[in-house]
Amino acid sequence: MTGKPALSLGIDIGGTFTDLVLHGPGRERSDTLKVLTTHADPVQGILAGTRRLLEQAGAAPGEVGRVVHATTLFTNALIERKGARTALITTAGFRDLLHIGRERRYELYDLQLRPPEPLVPDRLRFEVPERVKADGTVLVPLDLAELEERAAEAVEMGAESLAILFLHSDLHPQHEAEAVAHLAKHFPELSVTASHGIVREVREYDRGSTATANAYVAPLAERYLARLGSELATLGLQAPLLLMLSNGGLTHVAEARRAPVQLLESGPAAGALAAAFLAGEEEGRLLAFDLGGTTAKLCVVENGEPEVVFGFEAARQARFIEGSGLPIRISTVDLIEIGAGGGSIARRDPIGLLKVGPDSAGSEPGPASYGRGGTQPTVTDANLLLGYLDPASFAGGRLPLDRQAAADAVGRLAASLDISSEAAAWGIHDVATEAMAGAARTHLAERGRDASEFTLVCTGGGGPVHGHHLARKLGIRRMIIPPEAGVASALGMLAAPPRVDKVMSLGQRLDACTASFLASAFGGLEEEARQVLADGGWTGEEVAAGRMVDARCVGQGAHMPVSLPPAPWPMEDEAVRELIRDAFRLAYVARYSRPPPAVPIELVHARVVLRGAKGAAQINAGSGPDATEAAANWRRIVIGGEEHEAAVHRRASLPVGFVATGPALVEEAGSTLVVGPGSRLMVLRSGNILVELN
Amino acid sequence: MAHLDPVTLELVWTRLIAAVDEAAKAIVRTSFSTLSNEANDFACVLTDAEGRSLAQNTGSIPSFIGTLPGTVRAVRAAFPADRMQPGDVFITNNPWIGTGHLNDISVVRPIYLESSIVGFAATTSHVPDIGGRIRSTEARELFEEGFHIPPMRLMRGEVPDATLLALLRANVRTPDQTEGDVWAQVGAVSLIEDRVRRALEDHRMSGLSVVASEIFDRSEAEMRRRIALLPEGTWRSTMQTDGLEDPFTFEVEVTLRGGEVAVDFTGTSPQQRRAVNCVMAYTTAMTHFALKALLLPELPNNEGVFRPIHVHAPEGCILNPRHPAAVGGRAATGHYVPVLVFSALAEALPDKVRAAPGSPLWIMNLAGTDTQGRTFANVMFFNGGTGAGATQGGADCISWPSNISATPIEVVERTAPLLIHRKALRPDSGGAGSFHGGRGQEVLLECEAEDVGAVFVTERLRFAAHGLFGGASGAIGEVLIDGIAVNTRQLQMLRKGSRVTVRTPGGGGFGPIQGSE
Repeated sequence: MTGKPALSLGIDIGGTFTDLVLHGPGRERSDTLKVLTTHADPVQGILAGTRRLLEQAGAAPGEVGRVVHATTLFTNALIERKGARTALITTAGFRDLLHIGRERRYELYDLQLRPPEPLVPDRLRFEVPERVKADGTVLVPLDLAELEERAAEAVEMGAESLAILFLHSDLHPQHEAEAVAHLAKHFPELSVTASHGIVREVREYDRGSTATANAYVAPLAERYLARLGSELATLGLQAPLLLMLSNGGLTHVAEARRAPVQLLESGPAAGALAAAFLAGEEEGRLLAFDLGGTTAKLCVVENGEPEVVFGFEAARQARFIEGSGLPIRISTVDLIEIGAGGGSIARRDPIGLLKVGPDSAGSEPGPASYGRGGTQPTVTDANLLLGYLDPASFAGGRLPLDRQAAADAVGRLAASLDISSEAAAWGIHDVATEAMAGAARTHLAERGRDASEFTLVCTGGGGPVHGHHLARKLGIRRMIIPPEAGVASALGMLAAPPRVDKVMSLGQRLDACTASFLASAFGGLEEEARQVLADGGWTGEEVAAGRMVDARCVGQGAHMPVSLPPAPWPMEDEAVRELIRDAFRLAYVARYSRPPPAVPIELVHARVVLRGAKGAAQINAGSGPDATEAAANWRRIVIGGEEHEAAVHRRASLPVGFVATGPALVEEAGSTLVVGPGSRLMVLRSGNILVELN
Repeated sequence: MAHLDPVTLELVWTRLIAAVDEAAKAIVRTSFSTLSNEANDFACVLTDAEGRSLAQNTGSIPSFIGTLPGTVRAVRAAFPADRMQPGDVFITNNPWIGTGHLNDISVVRPIYLESSIVGFAATTSHVPDIGGRIRSTEARELFEEGFHIPPMRLMRGEVPDATLLALLRANVRTPDQTEGDVWAQVGAVSLIEDRVRRALEDHRMSGLSVVASEIFDRSEAEMRRRIALLPEGTWRSTMQTDGLEDPFTFEVEVTLRGGEVAVDFTGTSPQQRRAVNCVMAYTTAMTHFALKALLLPELPNNEGVFRPIHVHAPEGCILNPRHPAAVGGRAATGHYVPVLVFSALAEALPDKVRAAPGSPLWIMNLAGTDTQGRTFANVMFFNGGTGAGATQGGADCISWPSNISATPIEVVERTAPLLIHRKALRPDSGGAGSFHGGRGQEVLLECEAEDVGAVFVTERLRFAAHGLFGGASGAIGEVLIDGIAVNTRQLQMLRKGSRVTVRTPGGGGFGPIQGSE
């Protein structure tokens, strides 16, 4: 690399927009650009945007040192069932495993409930003779000839991709590995995913579901990433392409092509990182709160790192119902998603209570006030009637709101509930916010956290509108509202560290584990993880390793993640056991507020997380000293059912250091910040607005 | 009484339901019983001060609808409010005032605001072991089925009763795990008390009674309205099931009149000297489930929904046995109740009802000594297909009316000396019709230890899941050991190498078979 410091290019493809950002040391500001996502061929949008952005920034393609990319393409392929034609090969006797699934209903009273449709249709499910027992004994050797025949049949039937699920492969992956090697030789054009290569965890349905989802998106990822790389190269961009993982870390193209299932939650991960990044490093504990048109998303971020869990569900049948989707066992940002957004419809429930969502009016026809034919009252309509939104300047004036239409829609609902229109409007705001508060309250309580120690970071069109009321409900004292950050997630990604997660089954009681067994298990995982980082060119002392076990008391069904100290560990068996026992006890007490019962501990999985150094990125300074406080207007707003006269500020004209006390509104093109009576707002040097609740 | 607006009601009620849901999650995470942590075989309830159900955890399985409030009322009867104090916790597993068998331990905690009781938090959970015979239908009396705890005080002002705990521990095979699960429940009721108090404080309320009355009245009114939309009249249904030596007869008469439903099981077989009896609380819960799923599925469970429903089963029948009947296998009887109600209401609600499913739930309990000489006990569940409906086929291998998943094969093989050779859909096992019944499954497993006792709970080996409106019945179930059909009502001993084939029943079809008319 030459002496000139390299630039970083961030690209975030979302459902509607593709956001681009160019950033580098020595540049005063980041350059940003928002273009429409080109659904037919997303690469086109990226290329056009990149060209324009480089031009706008006056930078040459050769100056770009790395490209960081997040995308929702793969998750959309899964939801819309538009992935590759995928076949499944299992241990003989088990071809129906993924069809049979968990055998449980995700909703008890729905007599017409449908289980999630399997990704692999009946005719593409095959078996081969092979069987390894739980203790590693080979009961039936793998029949390679049969394997070849079944694969040939699958290809004949049009399969582009194939998943392999053999029983106990989390502990004994030899047969799966042999099968992969054999197929690679005989079917070089076929994409093959072996379950142990994606997740070495016990439970065949979960592992198989994850592997199948990977196989389902792999050919798409392969084509897309190859093409994106080569097209960027023709622009003169030779820089390595890095991908945002679901867990908020980065990986390189080869790893992304091998296991694209790790990228499913790439978009939301970028969003959570953005909130952390924009709030600034001095904020230790954040609750990132993003409110869009159909959903609210909440995520706990501590010390700059979003909270991560080791599994989620993709492509749910019923969006907000657990158990209705496909289990995906990968590490992913722990997002609470609630079906309450600006477009969520308010209605009367069967017993005359006011409900909001999860049905949404979307953007077509949209809220009643959009004047596009929507007649049902939505959260946005209520916010308009409460005085929070300015009908003339909504969405930067591009979409003037029809106050009368909102009043009519809310009025009809109010009549059916036998309450006043004013009460209904506040009720809609209140019920929607309570849905978010309820989810956050439970989420934090389950982790032994106290909401009052968190700062709420509000983003999205609705975040600043509902943030104050949400903070009140949760007992949160501080809110941060970043400047309207249209391309925030693209920028947040640039600060992400490279990351590799590895897991393997242990399935041992702690008292049966020796120091050397554990050292080789964790050491082996660290070695594998380090290799993935090395393949991406990340080496050296910046690499930090975290060790974890999933553990439980023997006999418990659920296990919990327990963080362990990094290597080196003691050499004596009992000392290592004591170290794990102590960590388990601590984690148990933190989670359940009482010590674990006097029952031996079982180690289910070993986990290793390797991280490289964080990338560099900085926030654009706020609009700076040239901003002057324009004379505020006044508007009547309703908070807590009471009317207030609120000062209305335009965010662009507030200077750094500006201080005011609520009730107040701060407007910008995409949103309005609502500040309740008595709370103090202040414009920080970073351009963020800080609100302190009294 | 003050009238509450629909917004405040929604806010408070949602928050109360969230409190019991949070407690439910805590139980899933901390309990030892697979039935609780894998199968949601537990419930958390919040009642008002009179013991009327105001909130129940969302995923709670049908068998617990209304049983816990009954437990709360029994505890109130045994311990009047003036004998309770903050920090008290009560406990019982009496089947008649609980959930129908001894394995479910219930705990009840009064919720105090200042110095008065505003409600009760209650949970029930299936503990790993309660002593007695291992889930055998062979028990003749309750006394053989395990340790019986009448309503008692487990904690007085947060201080546990050491005597009671010592007795419990001495009477069960897994003292640490069973006691651990009791503490998991105590944790859950304490959590509910805390959350309810916070909710009341946030909304500046001094009690639950205003919210409760309003929710009950509104729910009752809506349930009455839905019932009144149906044609009035009386419908009957009769069904034979596998029974013991002789089949059992189930009879029901359902009357819809004046916005109320009367369900009468007169004519059903008498109670048995075997553990197949289903207590009235369970029968009522299953009847409530069937009617709620048909009429008002979207509303959270609460007392008001069930006020217009009257359930009667004559004392002394298998759906309302007298003490000390053996009741351990009550699910295999009680799971037929919603099927019977659907059959009776088929003419009145043809678009809603479903053909019969391949349930009750199948269970295989194994106990013995593994190849390393360690004793083991293992329980496996098997589900059949569900029945078809007017617009869609049944689902393959899915639990109904209960909601219990099968343990993963890899987990089974790592915890018991078993080798599973096959787990597959049973072809053509769903009943034919305009819409097919869901398929059952075939599981083939091999025992890897000597002298393992196998106790089965199976149904529909003799009488298939019937179809509706011309749909055919699903396939009957089969249990074979080394290829020979066995009597699943008796203990079977397995040798090393014994192969057990389990074929679960398919669901019934709906509507005439294409081309047959």
